[in-house]
Formats: sequence, structure tokens, C-alpha cells
Amino acid sequence: MAGNIVITIGFLTGLFTIFMYYLTYKGYENTLIKARIGYHLTAIMAIVASILLFHAVLTHQYQYNYVFNYSGSGLSTGLLLSTFWGGQEGSFLLWVLFTAVVGIILLEYTSKRGDLEPRVMMIFTLSLTFLLFLVTPLLKSPFNFIWMDPSFVETKFLNSQYLSLPFMQNFFFEDSAAGKSFVKIDSQLYTLLTANGIAIKDFIIEGKGLNPLLQNFWMQIHPPFLFVGFAMSAVPFSFAMAALIKNDYKDWVKQAFPWMLSGTMVLGLAIMLGGYWAYGILGWGGYWGWDPVENSSLIPWLIGVASIHTLVIQKKTQSDKSAGRFVKTNLILAMLTYIFVLYSTFLTRSGILGESSVHSFAEPGMLVYLLLVIFMVTFLLIGSIGFISRWNTLNEDFDEEEGVLSRELALFTGAVAILASAIIVLAGTSAPIFGQAVEIRFYDELNLPIAIIIGLLNGFSLLLKWKSNKSEYIWKKLLTPFAISLILTVILVLWGSVYNLMLILLSLSAIFSIVVNFEIAYKIARKKATHIGAYVAHIGIALFLLGVVATSGFSSQDSLDLEKGKTTSIFGYDLTFEGYQPVENGEKYAFNIKVEKNGSSSIVAPVMYVSSINNSLMREPAIWNMFTRDFYVTPLSYEDGGGQKHNHAGRSVTLRKGESVDHKGNKVIFDSFNFPQDAMSAMMGGGSFSIGANLTVDGYGKTYKIEPKMESDNGNRKYVSAKIDELDLLVEMTNLDASGSVSLVLKNISGNDETIAEVQPEVLSIEASVKPFINLVWTGVILMVIGFILSAIKRTKEA
Amino acid sequence: MKNKYMFGGIIIIVFMGIMGYLFTETNISYEENFSKIISSNKTMKATGSWVKEKSFHVDKQNKQFSFFMKDYLGNEMKVIYNGTIPNNFESSTSVVVTGKYQNGSFHAKDILTKCPSKYEEQFDETSKS
Repeated sequence: MAGNIVITIGFLTGLFTIFMYYLTYKGYENTLIKARIGYHLTAIMAIVASILLFHAVLTHQYQYNYVFNYSGSGLSTGLLLSTFWGGQEGSFLLWVLFTAVVGIILLEYTSKRGDLEPRVMMIFTLSLTFLLFLVTPLLKSPFNFIWMDPSFVETKFLNSQYLSLPFMQNFFFEDSAAGKSFVKIDSQLYTLLTANGIAIKDFIIEGKGLNPLLQNFWMQIHPPFLFVGFAMSAVPFSFAMAALIKNDYKDWVKQAFPWMLSGTMVLGLAIMLGGYWAYGILGWGGYWGWDPVENSSLIPWLIGVASIHTLVIQKKTQSDKSAGRFVKTNLILAMLTYIFVLYSTFLTRSGILGESSVHSFAEPGMLVYLLLVIFMVTFLLIGSIGFISRWNTLNEDFDEEEGVLSRELALFTGAVAILASAIIVLAGTSAPIFGQAVEIRFYDELNLPIAIIIGLLNGFSLLLKWKSNKSEYIWKKLLTPFAISLILTVILVLWGSVYNLMLILLSLSAIFSIVVNFEIAYKIARKKATHIGAYVAHIGIALFLLGVVATSGFSSQDSLDLEKGKTTSIFGYDLTFEGYQPVENGEKYAFNIKVEKNGSSSIVAPVMYVSSINNSLMREPAIWNMFTRDFYVTPLSYEDGGGQKHNHAGRSVTLRKGESVDHKGNKVIFDSFNFPQDAMSAMMGGGSFSIGANLTVDGYGKTYKIEPKMESDNGNRKYVSAKIDELDLLVEMTNLDASGSVSLVLKNISGNDETIAEVQPEVLSIEASVKPFINLVWTGVILMVIGFILSAIKRTKEA
Repeated sequence: MKNKYMFGGIIIIVFMGIMGYLFTETNISYEENFSKIISSNKTMKATGSWVKEKSFHVDKQNKQFSFFMKDYLGNEMKVIYNGTIPNNFESSTSVVVTGKYQNGSFHAKDILTKCPSKYEEQFDETSKS
């Protein structure tokens, strides 16, 4: 309850702050201090609300609908923290939190720079207030109680000692198809429970838990970075609006610059953290799959990068009289960066991508859909109205024509190329709105030539001087680096057998960009080491592109079966499956594979487990990371050796639901468990019950249905076998596992089984792939981040 | 000045043209009615659900995974996927497969499974029906 009150107060103080900043802008004198207090109060409320949610998660307060749905008691502290943003409501609150904190720094920053604060903070607080509105109790608050909307909760999450209470009986619902029973928790039940002195948090004793795909370290770090990036993208928008409000377009450029750089850096890092997560843990096999959710955050990043380049031009071309070149472009791009962050949120949170994305998000309902549209349209309108109302001033001739061969024009062309890439991604990603989709090659084929252009311009623009250049001068400067790049490319092509023209061109453009940037960075580093940021980032993107060439053009992949103890070769690697062992308290199994090549070796251990949350087999890849390549193993399936373990005569098999086995010309299929309704309650009560396995046997043109059983009487298990006389088949059950598998022994009724005691080997099926030079991708990203940080530091000093 | 806009305009038109062309060429539409998929030879995204009663089959030798899928009208078709069972398959409520219908079955290049995000909702539906 406290959480909802705090959020509501925060929302109201947010509105107050906007109003006070507006009055300050209008010239009132004593309102600025009120606005500042108002903002800090809003920020404090956001922080307090977040602390309350963390507290609720850590102390397992399952009376909150959100905590019940996304958290569970079995999670480690780190994972518990990540359930904060495991669902929609919490991730909105995380966004609120970071926006609030960024705003505190922004307030401090703008308060020191003339009359900037009221205009910037008015707009920025508006965006924070909008976000707070989304998490207010009427909409998507993570603090809403579970009984506020009737919800069906499975009995396994409830305290069984209360289930037998007389008034409970009206709230039971059975789902016989799934073999589950539910309790309907609504305000009526809440009243009854409270009247009987039972607190709801003692009644609901377990949460549903976190999606197993999210249970890893990267879930703890990717979303926070992403939301810091999202939060920071509101800053350039606020600066651009502030410039429009004042109708002065000069100073905002240098003031917004460090924010633009650091925001883009964080967003880019967040995107690639997601890429690494997909590669290293989720087992997508690559770092980028052009999934709509990945794409949606790439669009604002690309726009941000383009705007950094046009901002450089404006800043460089400014004089005492002129605000510089590309005034309009810069305003538009700064605002679009944020608008596309909102668009990204709309795409991923409105449920519109429901069927086209690997990421699954809960259907949020019509209300959230509408609100997200309103959020986006509001900021689009604010930007457009501001822009149009200043059209006359904006259209005054700031234009000082530059020469065709100038760094300005080359940079601008580069920015246009980056924007073209953003438009491509936007078109493909928006297709699901219209019930369409595009194949992956849409992105690949269109972005490839653009990447080549970007790489070339990346090097070429730096050889040009500002304003204008004589063409002879260019040729002279171009000759050496281009010759070096050409030689390096030829070596690369011959050594790596690169025979695809587009990939050769991309390699050339990337190498050219490295050569030029390296030369300049080297020269500058000796004088002013802090000024090399841009060049480091450029080398980063070029290395990244080379990594893309290597991994997309030269990866090899195949699937194979590994028999335990036997060595199998693939792509020149010798693989030996050495057995498995339980990991993480026996919840998961790691399969050890010894990989050898040219005398060096490593043990890779991909993991498989059946998740109790979704009852599915989950697989985690394992990687042998070498300097020049990754050896990447995805586990597919594992077959137990059967016969070796059991001493029964006959043949032992373990079948998962739906699997079948061929036995002496008969096909035995495990269809389902027969799990009678009373078995559940008997299981809890300790009474006697039986669970059967429905088997279908196809033999000699006839189909038989049999059902061996497991009977339990006060905890003593007993198995009842089934037989088919016509087929001379006796089926004994030896074990059954609630996760969906059953162990059987198939025998002849007549008993002469000794002759067929076949010993099957343990077989692990895997998919193996070699990813050459994937380290270039990660190195490129790290260099880009370092470059951005260096530039941001330099520009902060200038601002 | 005029030339600059002309030049820019031409580039934009060419770019949009290429993009539009590739967009239509790589475009995949969603289809909920399987009878339309069966009669077409285009790559499509079929949306429906897994027929649990018919189970699924894993063919280790050919590394194929096959199952039956039905649409909202009850039309069924066999889906063959060269690969292994996707994570979450058994608990999926709806399935989206991308591919073509050929020789009596749907050959999927890609399988996307959607799982119930809330058990209650699922239960709510079953209890109503």
C-alpha cells in the first residue's frame, strides 16, 4: 500500500514541478526554489518506491500480484533483485528510477548554466511524470495486491494448512485436463481470510518464480543498462525543446553534447550486453538475430550516433553571428532519439509484436496500448509544435555553403548513411504492426552496402579539412592509407579465402577506416591523449565490422551424436563426451565434453535441465573461447544408456511424454500420465493413490492400449505391470518422474529375454560450431564504449 | 543549391525504391487459415496450436522434428522442422512456424513457441469452455 501512496505522491509532485518550472520560465521569481524542491521530492518518491519494491521482493511479499507472478523463494539474492524488472510493471518502475536519478544530475548541470534550468527541467520532468503516471495504482503499479483483480492461484503456491478451512471450498476450481487445482483469490476471499485472522502473505507462501531464460547474470545487468540509456535519451530531447522555447540554437549544442555521447554509449553497451546474453547463455548461436525487440532499441541508437556527427558539424561551424550548420537537422535528430525510445517501448510493451518476437511479453491489455501510443504521440506533438512555431527563425539562412570536398559534407553523408540504416531497421521492425514480417536477409542485404559506405566515410572524412579542400591535396593524403589498406585487404582475402565481393569491400572499408583512424589517433595521443575518443570509437566500429565479416561469412556449424568415451571429429576438433554431473544443487546437469585441437584442449560443459516453471527442457550452450575463434557447443538431447544401469532382465527404456521406442517390431509410445483428481489431495494427505502411464503399443497391425501403474500407500511405492499376451510383451514400470518421463522395462512374458540384453551406449547429441574472430566483435564494442567515454569527458570539459 | 536538393532527392528515391523492392520480396505474411497455406507455395508464417493428442516425433537419424498443428478452424497439417525440439515446446499454447507447404507437409525453417504467461488466464479459458 505504501508503495502506491509513494508513487501517487511522486506523480503529483511531478506535476507541481512542471508548473513551477513553467512559472519560473515565465519570469516569476520565487518559484525556482519550489520547482527544485518539487523535483527532488519526485525523485525521492521514485527512489523510495523502488526501495519498497526491492524490499517486497527480498522478503517474498506474495500478497503483491507482481511479486507473486515474477518472483519465487528458491532464487539467489542476485536473481531476486532481477525479478524487480522481470515483468512489465517493475521494468517501468526501473525506468522511472533511472530517469529520476539522471534528472538530479541534470538539474545540477543545468542550474550552473545560465537560464537553462527551467526550460530543460520542465520538459524533462514532463517525461518523468509521464512514466510515473504509467505506474500509478490505476494503471501498471507493481504494488497492486493480488486480490484486487480476481486471480486463480495454483494450490501448490498456497499454505496447505488453510486449504481445508470450510469457507475455502467455494473458491476451489479444478482443471482436470491439466491435473491442477486452483484457488480463486479475490476480495471476497481476502475478507474471509482476514476475518479469520489469516494474513494473505501467510496464505500465499510461494511465487511463480522467474522465467528460466532470465535466470542468469546477464538478466541482472542488461535491463538496467538499457533503462539508463532510455532515461538518458530524454536529456537531448529536453535540450532541443529548451532551445526551441528560447528560440536560440547556439548554446544547446555544446551543452547537450556530453549527454548525447554518454547516453548513446550506455544504450549501445546495453544493446550489445543483450547480444552477448543471447550468444553466451540463451544459445541463439549469434550475437544478433534481427529480432524486433533487439531492433527496436537499435533504431534510437543509430539516430543518436547520426546526431552526434551532425552536432559536431554545427559546433564546428558556429561563429559569433551564426548558430552553425544543420540547426534543424540537429533539433529533429535529438528529439527523434527519444521519440524512437518511446516507439521501442510501444513495440515491445504493447503486445503488438506478440507473434513475431522471440522475446515474450505478457499481453498488457488495451489500456497500456493506448497509453503508450498517447505517450509517444504527446512527445511527437510537443516536438512538432515547437518546431513549426519556430519555423520562421529556423528557416533564416544559417546556411553557409561548404565545398563539396569538405569534412562537413563527408560527415553529413555519413550521418545520412547511418540514418538510412535506421530507416531500414525501422521498416522491417514495424512490419508486424501491419500483420507482416520480413526475412532476415532484408536487413542483411540492405545494411551491407551501407556498412561499406559508412566504413569508407569513416576514414575518408578524417582526411578532409573543414570547409573546403583542393582535390590534389586529397589525393596526396589519400594515397598512403589507401595503398596500405589495399595491401592488407589483399592479404586478408588470400589468407582467409574471402571470395564474396561484398565481404571483400566491407573488409576493405573497415581496414581503411582502421588505418586512417589509427594514424590520427597515434599522432594525437602523443600530444593530447584525452582527444582520441572519436578515433578509438571509429576503430571500434571498424573492428566490429571485421568481426561481422568473419562470423557471418565463415562460421561453420553441424550437429552430431557423441557416444560416451568415444572420440568424434568435427571441423578438425576431437570431441569426447566424458559424462555428466549435476550442478546448481542438482537442478541442472552439465555434460562434459573434452575438446582437443593441435595439442591444446579444453573441457566445455553445456547444460540441460527441465525447468519446474514451464516444464520444458532448457539448454545452455558452452564455449571454448580461443584467441582467434570460439568453439561453440549447444546441447540438443541426451540418451541414457538404459540397459547398463538396471539389472532387470529385458530392456530398460526411459520415455518422455510423446516419445516412442521400437521393441522387437512393436512400437511403444508413452502418451500421458493418468493422474486422477483425488491423487493430488491424497498425495498431500499421505493417503493411498495411484498414477498410471497411458501407453499405446503398435504391433503387427494392431493397436493396444495399456496402463502400467505406480501405487502409493502411505509413502510406500509399488509398481503394477501391464501385459499384452498376443505380443508376448510385459511392460513393467520402474520409475516415474513428475517432470514428464517414465522408466519402463520391456520383457517377454515367456521369460527368455537373456538373448536380447542389448547394452545401449550413452549418447549426447550436440550442435557444434566454429565462430572465427568473434572476439573482434566484442573488442570492437569495448573500444567503441571507451571511445565514447573519452569523448564524453572531453565534451563535458568544453560544455 | 538547386542541384543539391535534386541530388539528395534522387538518392532518397533510389534508396526507397530498393528498400521497397526488397521489402516486398522478403515479405512474409501471417496466415491463420491452413487451407490457404496448403494451396499456396509461398513462404508464410502459420499461426496455430500444437495438436497435443497426436504428440510429436523426433527422428534422430534425419535430425527432424515433426508434429501436427491445427488452426482456429480445426484444419490440421503436419509440420516438419530440421532441427530439435525448441525450448518450451511442450508447454506452448500457440505456435508460429515459418516455411512452405510442400509434398503433404509444412516444412518449417523456424519455430516460435508462445507460452502461457499466466496460468490463471489459461485456466480461466478452460473453465469457461
